Formats: sequence, structure tokens, C-alpha cells
Amino acid sequence: MTAISMQNDALMQVRHISKGFFGLTVLRDVTLDITEGLITGLIGPNGAGKSTLFNIVSGFLTPDEGDVVYKGESVASMSVAARSYAGIVRTFQTPQIFANMTVRENLVAGCHKLSSSSFLANLFGLPASRRELAEMHGVADDALRRFGLQGIADVRAGDLPAGQQRLLELSRAALAKPDLLCLDEPSSGLNAEETQQLRALLERLNAEGMTIFLVSHDMDLMAVSSTVSVLCFGEIIARGSFAAIKADPRVREAYLGA
Amino acid sequence: MSLGQSQSLPAGSRMPRNLALIAAAAVFVAVWASVPLLASRGTVDLLVFTALYSIAGVGVAFLLGQCGIISLAQSVFYGIGAYATAYGTTALGWHWVPSLFAGMAVAGTVAFLIGWPILRLSGHFLALATLALATIGHVLFLEWDWITGGTLGVGGIARISLFGFVLNTPQRFYYFVWIVAGLVFWLYANLLKSRAGFAMRAMRDAPSAAMVLGVDVHRLKVQVFVMSAVVGSLAGSLFASYVTFVSVDSFGIDRAVSFLLVAVVGGAQTILGSVFGAAFITLAPNLLSKLGDIHALVYAGVLVLAVIFLPQGIGGFLRDRVRGLLNGSGRAGR
Repeated sequence: MTAISMQNDALMQVRHISKGFFGLTVLRDVTLDITEGLITGLIGPNGAGKSTLFNIVSGFLTPDEGDVVYKGESVASMSVAARSYAGIVRTFQTPQIFANMTVRENLVAGCHKLSSSSFLANLFGLPASRRELAEMHGVADDALRRFGLQGIADVRAGDLPAGQQRLLELSRAALAKPDLLCLDEPSSGLNAEETQQLRALLERLNAEGMTIFLVSHDMDLMAVSSTVSVLCFGEIIARGSFAAIKADPRVREAYLGA
Repeated sequence: MSLGQSQSLPAGSRMPRNLALIAAAAVFVAVWASVPLLASRGTVDLLVFTALYSIAGVGVAFLLGQCGIISLAQSVFYGIGAYATAYGTTALGWHWVPSLFAGMAVAGTVAFLIGWPILRLSGHFLALATLALATIGHVLFLEWDWITGGTLGVGGIARISLFGFVLNTPQRFYYFVWIVAGLVFWLYANLLKSRAGFAMRAMRDAPSAAMVLGVDVHRLKVQVFVMSAVVGSLAGSLFASYVTFVSVDSFGIDRAVSFLLVAVVGGAQTILGSVFGAAFITLAPNLLSKLGDIHALVYAGVLVLAVIFLPQGIGGFLRDRVRGLLNGSGRAGR
């Protein structure tokens, strides 16, 4: 394994994770650190187990063995929503936008965690509930400007082209105040120019203090990562800087095909 | 132009529109208030049932349109409300108010206990689970004859009285039931434009993404299901007080389907769509019955055509037309 020691300032530690489906082992003793304040990348060929690992990290799957430690505490048994409140927010390989809502409404929905009024307060339209909704709209309007979405604010999200859906999903995720933002193939379906814009956005979010866990096939995008791990047939076969990973002969053989 | 963009119109442009809305509301209230004075007793009776079905139906419509949940169980909660009022006001000698609230409490509790496990299902599996609940509920209404009177039913149910004023005619009940319906619509409208409303629509469109944003999807589904059951029970209690006799025939699968039709024909995306859906299922069979034996076939045909040509329901169709008109006048104003 490429020599980079495990970080002590890890925001999340994936410890000895194993996972199988119907007797087929998909992940075998995977250990990975996501360092606070950095962009950590994960690459691997199709079927390597990236999505399974991503789903375990975000709470959509539970591991057969091992643990996921976040901010020093195990989150393995926490629900997806509870992990979100703890600061773990993810996007999806196929953008999961709220298709029948406008772009602005998608962003208002993204403010769910920033509000706390109860179902009954909402039902009776209590002043606190109305005030909170106005605040959510304010935050969404700020986000429209921040992410350059003003021009499409009132467009139905399902009618947007793939690139803008991707940007909307990422903006909405960033709005949910993540400490750890997990991005699953964020450049999938984007053209070269959009990928460059995405890369700039990731660097900006990271510069603002957001820790990012990035899974991607796109080696241009992966270059933003401080550390890259390589997953192959359910095992981490290399870990290091992007340049070191690109030069690693085992990685080239297993993944880059050169 | 969308409705959201209309906020940027100058104040002078908004004023005529607000005045027009106020005038339209005043005309609507005047027409609504004068209907019982002008229409026949039979017509007012149908409009009372329209209100009852729209109260029960809006719960189903909200589940379908805002949460993506198909519920065929509303007949059970409608029945619970009706029998709570029947049993409370006859066997127990209670006033109609505690009987009504007891029914809502029982319906809400049953919905919570049943909903907690079955709302982990989704799509057709969930619809089938609610259908099973409707079937079981109907059988229990039949078997628990010490409460429900079985096939013989329960008669002599107390009418609603307000400060000594007994609602013993369709005309009197009309005003009361439509005010209650208005309150229920207001509650649902509040919910729709709140934090919970956004969470519901998020859950409907992309449940995984909603969870990632912190929405406890299962809890939210249970809350809306309980709310739906409570308004279903409210409608059932009002129904029992209005007709003063209830029998198990009123709470079968056909009634469950009727409530779903209120949502589908009226349009599940809009709250007022339930009124149109309820009007359709109460008025259309009555009007078509003049055609003789063939009326059931025509009714079924009209239903099919309505679903094909109005996929957003009557409410959705009208909403789009009104938006088109408003947007058109906004452009013309410039």
C-alpha cells in the first residue's frame, strides 16, 4: 500500500468494514479515514464496491462487520436522517432532485434541518411556524444567488437538464450544513465545462471548511482530492496523494488500464 | 410568469388583482349562503354529502398528492367516527361533542398502531395493506354488533345542537358542515405551506434525498396518516349526526373506493380538488340516474374519461386555467 499513515484528525473512520449480499462478498475488511477539512477521494473500477461503501457511510446499508466512527462515536446503528442531523449529507449517482417542486422550493426543502417547528404547529399555522418558513425562504434565496441559480429559481426541477439538476442537488446538500459532504459520482452526465465548474465549486466549499468524501470515475475531478483510496474487488489496494496513486503500477493495472 | 414572480409587480398592479380576488370571494360567499334558500331540499342534501365526502376525501387526497400514499382505509376511520357518535349518543348517553372527539381519538390511535408497521411498505404493497385494513374493518363492524348493531345498524342518534339550535334540516346542517369543511381545508393548507409540507413533497418526489436532508420519512408518513384518519372520523361522526342512523353498509369497500375517487377525480395536488371530487361522486350518479338502467355504465364511462383527460383531476385542471388567466393578465398589465 502506498505509504501514507492513517490520520489522527480523521472526521470519519471506516473501520474493518465487510459486507456481502447473498453469499457474495462485496467489501472485505475495508478501513479508510476521511480527514477533517480535506477532500478524500475514492476510486475503483465498476463493481469494486464503491457504492456499497458509500451507502454504509451514509446509513442506507448496515455493515456485516466493522464500524463507522464519526467525530469519535460509532454511527453504524444511526438512521440516515439521524446521520444527517449529525452532519453527514450525501448526493446520489443519479441526481435525486424533487422533480415536481421548483428550484427555489427544492432549496427551501433543503433547509429542513435548520428549522424545528412541530407537525401540530405547522398544522395550526402558529406564528413560530410561519416565521420559520419565512426564514427558510430567506436562506433559499441566499443560496440561489450563491450558487448562481436565480435565473431558474421558478423552473420545475424535473424540467432542468442533467447538469443543472446536479448543481441543484449539490447546492441543496450544501445548504443542509454538512460537516461531511459525501458526493457519489458528481460529474456523471456533465460536460467538460460543467465538470470544471463543479471542480471549482468543490474547491470553494472545501475552502469554506467543508470536509468532502468524493467517489468518482472522473480522474480530472479526482485531482481535487488531498488523499485518494483505491478500492478493487472489495479491498483497498492503495492509498495516497492523487499523483502517487496515478503512478502506482497496481492501480494502473487494476483501474487505469495502462 | 409564475405566481412567485408576480411578487415583483408594482403595487399599483397588485391592487386591482387583490380587489378582484376580494370581489370573487364575496360573490362566492353570497352564492354559498343563498344556496339553501333557493335550492330544493334534495339538492341541499346532496351538497351536505358533498361536504362530508370532501372532508373525508381531503385526507385521502393529501396522502396521495403530497405523500404518494394510496389509502383505501378511509372507510374504516369514517366508520369509527360514525359508530363513536352512534354508540356515544345512544348507549352511553353522551353529548355529541365528546362522542365526536372520542371517535377522532380512537381513529387516530388505530391509525397510529396500524400505520406504524404498514407505512414501512410503499407503492402497491401499501395500497394492498390499506385495502386489507378496510376489509378487516368492515368485517369487525359487522361482527361487533354490541356496538354497531351489525346489519340492523344503530338508530336514534342525537342530532347536533349548537346553543340549543338543533341542526335537524339539511339547510341548517349545510351551513355547519361546510364551515367545518372550510376549517379542515384551512388546516391542510397550513400544513402544505409549512416545513412539514415541504418535507412531505420532498418525500413524495425523492424519499432517499428527503432522508439525507434530515426528514424522518416514516414518522412523517405516520403523522399524515393519523391526521387523515382523524378527519375521516370527523366526517363519519358528522354523517351519523346528520342521518341519525348508521349501518354497516355505509362503511364497506365501495365507500373506501369512493373516498379514493374523491382524491383522483378531484385532483390530489390541490386541497380544494376534494370539493370537486366529492361533488362529482355525489352529484354525478344522481344526475345520471335520470338516464335509467344504463346510468351505472355511463357513470363508469365518465369516470374513465375524467381520469384519462384530467390526469391532475378537476382541481388541477382549474388551477392551471386560473394560473394561465392570472399570468396572462399580468403580462397584459405590462
